[in-house]
Parts: sequence; C-alpha cells; structure tokens
Amino acid sequence: MDFILAGFIEAVRLLFGGDGQTWSAVAATLKASTGSMATSLVLGIPLGFVLGYFDFPAKRQARLLVDTALALPTVFIGLVVYAFISNRGPLGEMGLLFTLPGIAIGQTILALPIVIALSATAVESMDRHLRTLLISLGAGRRQLLLSSLWEVRYGLLAAGLAAYGRVMTEVGISMMVGGNIKWHTRTITTAIALETGKGMFATGIALGLVLIGIAFAVNVCLSFLRKR
Amino acid sequence: MPQPIYEIENLSHRYNRQPVLEIERLTVANSSILGLVGPNGSGKSTLLKLIAFIFQPTEGRILFQGKPAFPFDEAIRSQVTLLTQEPYLMKRTVFKNVAYGLKVRGERGDWRRPVHDALNLVGLDAEAFSRRQWDELSGGEAQRVALAARLVLKPTVLLLDEPTASVDAASSELIRSASLRARSEWGTTLVIASHDRQWLHDVCDDVVHLFKGKLAGSGRSNMIFGPWFREDDDVYGKRLDDDQRLWVSVPPSADATAFLDPGDIRILGEGETVDTAATAVVQGTVIRLALEKTSGHLFADVRIGSLILVVRIAESRLATMTLHRGWPVSLAYRPANIRWR
Repeated sequence: MDFILAGFIEAVRLLFGGDGQTWSAVAATLKASTGSMATSLVLGIPLGFVLGYFDFPAKRQARLLVDTALALPTVFIGLVVYAFISNRGPLGEMGLLFTLPGIAIGQTILALPIVIALSATAVESMDRHLRTLLISLGAGRRQLLLSSLWEVRYGLLAAGLAAYGRVMTEVGISMMVGGNIKWHTRTITTAIALETGKGMFATGIALGLVLIGIAFAVNVCLSFLRKR
Repeated sequence: MPQPIYEIENLSHRYNRQPVLEIERLTVANSSILGLVGPNGSGKSTLLKLIAFIFQPTEGRILFQGKPAFPFDEAIRSQVTLLTQEPYLMKRTVFKNVAYGLKVRGERGDWRRPVHDALNLVGLDAEAFSRRQWDELSGGEAQRVALAARLVLKPTVLLLDEPTASVDAASSELIRSASLRARSEWGTTLVIASHDRQWLHDVCDDVVHLFKGKLAGSGRSNMIFGPWFREDDDVYGKRLDDDQRLWVSVPPSADATAFLDPGDIRILGEGETVDTAATAVVQGTVIRLALEKTSGHLFADVRIGSLILVVRIAESRLATMTLHRGWPVSLAYRPANIRWR
C-alpha cells in the first residue's frame, strides 16, 4: 500500500514539475485522439443519422454490422491497420507506421462504430412528431436534417463522449501501430503499460491521473454546454 | 367561380400495404372552414397529413391553389401548417419555438413583435412565457405555444387535428377562438378534425364524414355502430342502455355501421301515431337545439340511452311544436331509410 501512496506523491511532482516524458505522452495522446475523434464524428454522425432516420433495404443488416463492430478488440484493429500501413502493406509507401496519424487511423476505426451506433439510437429515439412539426413550420430538407440533429444533440454528445472514452483508454492500437516510441508515439496508455512493467508506479499513476483529469474536463465542458 | 384552395383527386394511401384512405374527390374552398368527423381510425389524421404535405399519397394527387403540390415545395412551405393532437415543442425556449418558422422562412429583423403578438393571440403573456423552457409548460400551455408557432406565420391554411383533445377547458376555448381569428383576420382556410360535432357544426361551413378511410357524406348525419342482434329473419336491432331497441334493416355484416339522415327522423307531436309496421319509434330527451349556419335549418340533439341522434326539424312543424332542452320526445324513423357501410 505504501508504494501506491508514494506513487501518488511522485505523480503530483511529475505533473506539476513539468516532467518532459510525462507531458510528451499527454501531448501524443491528445493529438492522436483529437484527430481520430474529429474524423469519426464528421463521418459517424451523418451515417448514424441515415441509419436511424431512414428505412432502406438491408437496414437491419447494416445495423447488425455496426453493432458487431462495437466489439472489435483494439489489438485486432491494431493488427489490421499495421498490416495495411506496414512496408509490405498496400499503404506502406505513405509512411504511416509508427506515427501519430497512423494511431489516429486505427482509433478512428475504433470510434466510428460507436459514434454511428449511438447516433442512430439517438435519432431513433427522436419523437415521431418532430418531423411533422418541422415540416409544418416550413423547414426544407436541409433544415429538417439540422434541426433534427439539434433536437437529439444530447444523444449525439453522449455518443461522442463514449467514443472519446474508448479512444483515450485504448492500448492495443497505440502499441501496435505507434510502437510506443519515446518522445514520438508514446501515449498515456502505452506509457502506463510500459512504466508499470518497469515498476515505475509513480509515472503510471501520474499518467492515469491525467487521463482522469482530461475526461473530467471534457465532461465539465459538456455539462456547461447542456446548461446553456 | 373562385378557385378552391385544395382539389383532391383519386387519393389513395396505404400503410404497409393496408389501405387507410380512399377519396375520389374532395374540394376545399378558399378561406372556408371545413370540419372532418369520423371515429378513430377513419383516416382524419392521415388526410390532414397528406394535405399538409408531410408525406406523399400512395396514389392520386392533391392540387394546392390549382397546381400539383408535393412535400418541401417552395409554394407550400410556411403557407400550410398542421397542428397535431398531442402538444409537441422543440427542446428550446417558448420564444425560439414560436420564432422557428420565421427563422426558416428567412425573415430578418426583430422577431419579438410577431412572436409576442402570436403568444397574446393564444392568451399567453409574452413577457412571462417567452423565456420558459419547453418542459416548463402544462399541456394546455404547450398546445397554445404550438398554435402560436403556426399563427405567427399567418398561414394560408391552418390544419387542426383534434386541437383541444388533450387540453383543459380554458385552453380549449383559447385555441378555438385563436384559430377562428386567423380566418377572420387573414382569410386563413381552416380544416379541423374533431370529435366535438357540436362545435364543428357551429363554426364550419361544411362538415365531411370519414368512415374507414372513405367519405361517408357531409353535413349532419347519424353514424350508429353495432353490435346488432337478430330479433327475427329480417328484423335486427341495437340494444340501448335504457332497455329500448333501435330497430334497423338487415345489416350487411356484423360490424357494419348504420347511417341515418337527420331528415329521415321525425319528432312526433303529442298524441301523434304512426304505422308501426314500417316505422320504428324510440323515446328520448332533447339535449341541444342548434341552428345550422349555412342552411338555416334547426337541429335537435336527442339522447336515447347513451346514443345521441341528430334530428332535423322541418320548418312546417316548428310552429306546432314546443321544444326545449330536457323535453321528452318520441322519435319516428323508417328502418328502410338506413344506409349501411
């Protein structure tokens, strides 16, 4: 128990003392996760809207595919992305292996089904009267889409948060695609795995606190937005 | 002859291949008030949504101001508006809910004046209500805000689907008067679906009956539902709450509905007798007398048990008859005059 307490104390020192390696991992995490979240939201929300709003042939099968993709293990995604962007893969010439953009691609694949599935659920839960109301007040097709999305904004926020949490805490993709290279592709989660393996609990705890801190800060911002 | 606002031709609509509406022809005059009556499932709401261009009919066409119209057409957007039965507002303030139509229509300038006017029209204090959130309103207030959101557009057509079904009496009166003011101030055409037949007959220029998705006549009519019991080979009837029997002709099926025209029912004078071989007589109580706006005819609503029959009183009998609410009367009618659907 003593070593856990000592770890907390050391964690505070590392964080507020500006330890380079610690903050490098934080920066790498933020860069990769921001890129992957932006991409998955831009792609996932419209796709989720289509899946939840319209009736089309094979809709059930599409939903089944998306829901199945929710359970993809991160190491499997990491393996597939690695295969594509390694030197022997079809995208090897793009030089994405062991880079933050490479990690972001894998994290996008992880986050996209979450955003699509939860957005579709939010849209499906939309009151059936909303469409009638919006058309009755003169909304065109574009306004119908935007206003409908606005009405389910809290559900979409929840979808984004759930995806963000998954992305921030994954290890498999970051490890396999990023390579855990110090000062370059070492993220918070790969650093925790590495440092804990070396017995460096203080660094691991410090990074864990940062993860929790980021999640808390995001939720505070969203809570503020909800009140507005 | 002025062009009708709506012309419906060979309209047919199905949900999951089940037919729910079939109307051969229906016109709605400009700036008129049309009532729709019919039991639940008769197609009133579907018809209103079709003429609100919420969706397209399976078959047939709807002309609006003489031209075929479709959902999202520029010609109908913000001109035709529908108020549904259940009050529904967007997740925003009262002000933003009412102003939404002005926003999508691209109207610039200060919206406060038109929004406040619309709220006042439905009896809501604009200053007190504008900032309230959608979930801080009672059912009646929410329905009034919903109506205000439509009235602010000064629509050409206002469609009302059971506008007072889910609200309190005070809100109901405010909704009714605001709707009628739209017609009187802006010439708005109103199409109203309601179970309140008395109100419809009081305010509407015409009332159309719908039954199982089809037009079943217009004006005042008596729609009588089964079940029917068989007394004899060709004698059928309906048991009424007060142990009386309403005798009818042979129904075509067990769930058929009988239609009896108010003009085919006669209030018997004191001591008057009838030929009971061809005429049936029931006892009832007058509960309402009303003068029909368009025809000038006098109608009496007579309660027989739980059934209410509408009787048209012939002018020739007015002078010889004393009628008032609560008056017991005998009604005579010929079962052979009953139409079946």
